[in-house]
Amino acid sequence: MSIEIRNITKDFGSFQALKNISLDVPSGELVALLGPSGCGKTTLLRIIAGLETPDSGNILFHGSNATERDVREREVGFVFQHYALFRHMSVFENVAFGLRVRPKATRPSDAEISKRVHKLLELVQLDWLADRYPPQLSGGQRQRIALARALAVEPKVLLLDEPFGALDAKVRKDLRRWLRRLHDELHITSVFVTHDQEEALEVADRIVVMNHGQVEQIGSPQEVYDAPASPFVYQFLGNVNLFHSRVNEGRAQIGGIELQLDAHQETKDSPAFAYVRPHDIEVLKEADGEHAFEATVNYIHAIGPLVRLELQRADNPELIEAELTRERFRELSLTEGQSVFIRPRNVRVFLNQVA
Amino acid sequence: MSATIVSQLHSYNKKVARSRATSEPAWVRWSLIAVSLLFLSLFLFIPLAAVFTEALRKGFGAYIAALVDPDALSAIKLTVIAAAISLPLNLVFGVAAAWAIAKFDFRGKSILITLIDLPFAVSPVIAGLIYVLIFGMQGWFGEWLIDHDHKVIFAIPGIVLATIFVTFPFIARELIPLMQAQGKEEEEAGLVLGANGWQILWRITLPNIKWGLLYGVILTNARAMGEFGAVSVVSGHIRGLTNTMPLHVEILYNEYNYAAAFAVASLLAFLALLTLALKSFIEWQASRDVIIDEQIEE
Repeated sequence: MSIEIRNITKDFGSFQALKNISLDVPSGELVALLGPSGCGKTTLLRIIAGLETPDSGNILFHGSNATERDVREREVGFVFQHYALFRHMSVFENVAFGLRVRPKATRPSDAEISKRVHKLLELVQLDWLADRYPPQLSGGQRQRIALARALAVEPKVLLLDEPFGALDAKVRKDLRRWLRRLHDELHITSVFVTHDQEEALEVADRIVVMNHGQVEQIGSPQEVYDAPASPFVYQFLGNVNLFHSRVNEGRAQIGGIELQLDAHQETKDSPAFAYVRPHDIEVLKEADGEHAFEATVNYIHAIGPLVRLELQRADNPELIEAELTRERFRELSLTEGQSVFIRPRNVRVFLNQVA
Repeated sequence: MSATIVSQLHSYNKKVARSRATSEPAWVRWSLIAVSLLFLSLFLFIPLAAVFTEALRKGFGAYIAALVDPDALSAIKLTVIAAAISLPLNLVFGVAAAWAIAKFDFRGKSILITLIDLPFAVSPVIAGLIYVLIFGMQGWFGEWLIDHDHKVIFAIPGIVLATIFVTFPFIARELIPLMQAQGKEEEEAGLVLGANGWQILWRITLPNIKWGLLYGVILTNARAMGEFGAVSVVSGHIRGLTNTMPLHVEILYNEYNYAAAFAVASLLAFLALLTLALKSFIEWQASRDVIIDEQIEE
């Protein structure tokens, strides 16, 4: 079932949590709402579920207006950040809850409930825990039980609030791959909230980057990573170097070098920011014409597949981060304190609107 | 399974006791224990023992006779009636108030919390006087009540009202911090899964607060049966009609009928001991749940 969000606004007192949000979640997709804490992503998720009401705007489920529809009638599954398992019920009863509270007419028989619960527990690979109580489970197990419980009512939409937030790094990685596989099996329209860009980039079909109650960019993981639409998205997704720059008639000045830009042809001498990913910083031993500037190697972090360098620009106190492959690092045979030349590739320039 | 829980509890206690760095020298520990024991025996054990010795001073026959005396029986009956009416009312009010405060945000929330505490702050005598001022002969509704032949003051309704007033904070006070700590995620989860309000209350909220609720009920009951000041003002001390147990004890004592006074008092003392036993049982049950939670978190 597709979800359409139309001009949603929500205030909490004087705090504007959501400012005129519109977006579409196509049927069967796994979408991530990504943003820093306080950006309104959880509020938006709760509005989709019906746990909050928007001040204005509409939510459409499969084309029909669901804004006024009661939570119980929305057919959504919701996985809470801290799972919210019923602590006094066994795992089995937790998963069975949604079926047991149905009115008599639509409630399955006990045998049918038992069959369905065990099937769901098998799906999340925790059938052997049916008689345990939530406090006796590990975080990852609780998470999967919460998911089984949400799926028990056969929701048309699955909503997950920071699904991996409370887990340690190793479990988190396993679980997010598992969730991705599960989604590929079930094809249920899913929206999850996260502040972790790595998580969003790895799991989601589509990412909605949010900041200050507004949508900054919507796109596939590759689109938002390779072509960020705004300085915020650049800084939020992955590491990035920021250079203060001036743009004049399609040419950007960064330190001592000048770059040809595709955009900003009409701009007359205005301040701008230039963004370069650390792996797009080329490190050279010799100066290469006008397109490189001088820097000193401050630190070398040679752990993992990439070698990270912290460089100090010679012409001003800004620090630059660069990532090299181990081969390239060996070729250069760099040491700390050494003088090098750096050349940025794939520079994105945003005009400084404020100044 | 309960055996493993008990052994976990033991290892938990040992873990606390074993930390050498924070323990005091032996003589400090022993003198602290001695001081507290001395204090307790002076102010608690000896008076308590005195109640039971005095009650049985004239023999077991006299003890029973004092309890089955018609006035005593009527006092016991009235005490039970007052508790039996105020308890369910407080139960409903306590859960409703705690629910409202813990799970909703609304204007005047802090005023409501302060108002719930009012009976703790006000002297019980004043609580009684308030009802006399409202329902008494010269009170606001006095004439109307006389015209319609209703009696509130110097009658059972007054006693019940005063009892409710002095006991209503107990359950709410017990539940508010508990429900605030538990948050409303479980209730929201129930809602998303399709449960209606009643189902959420019976299947999710009440099971989660059962120990706190029971604790509050026991405290309320103890206070309702033992209340003296507020009830004394509104009761009128009519023997066999408007005397509760504490008031009956006072009357007997003032008439120098010590053995009978202590016999009735021993019932109240017994109630107190029972309350303490139940209270520690509940605390043990509740802490057991918490300890298991913590061990899993580790």
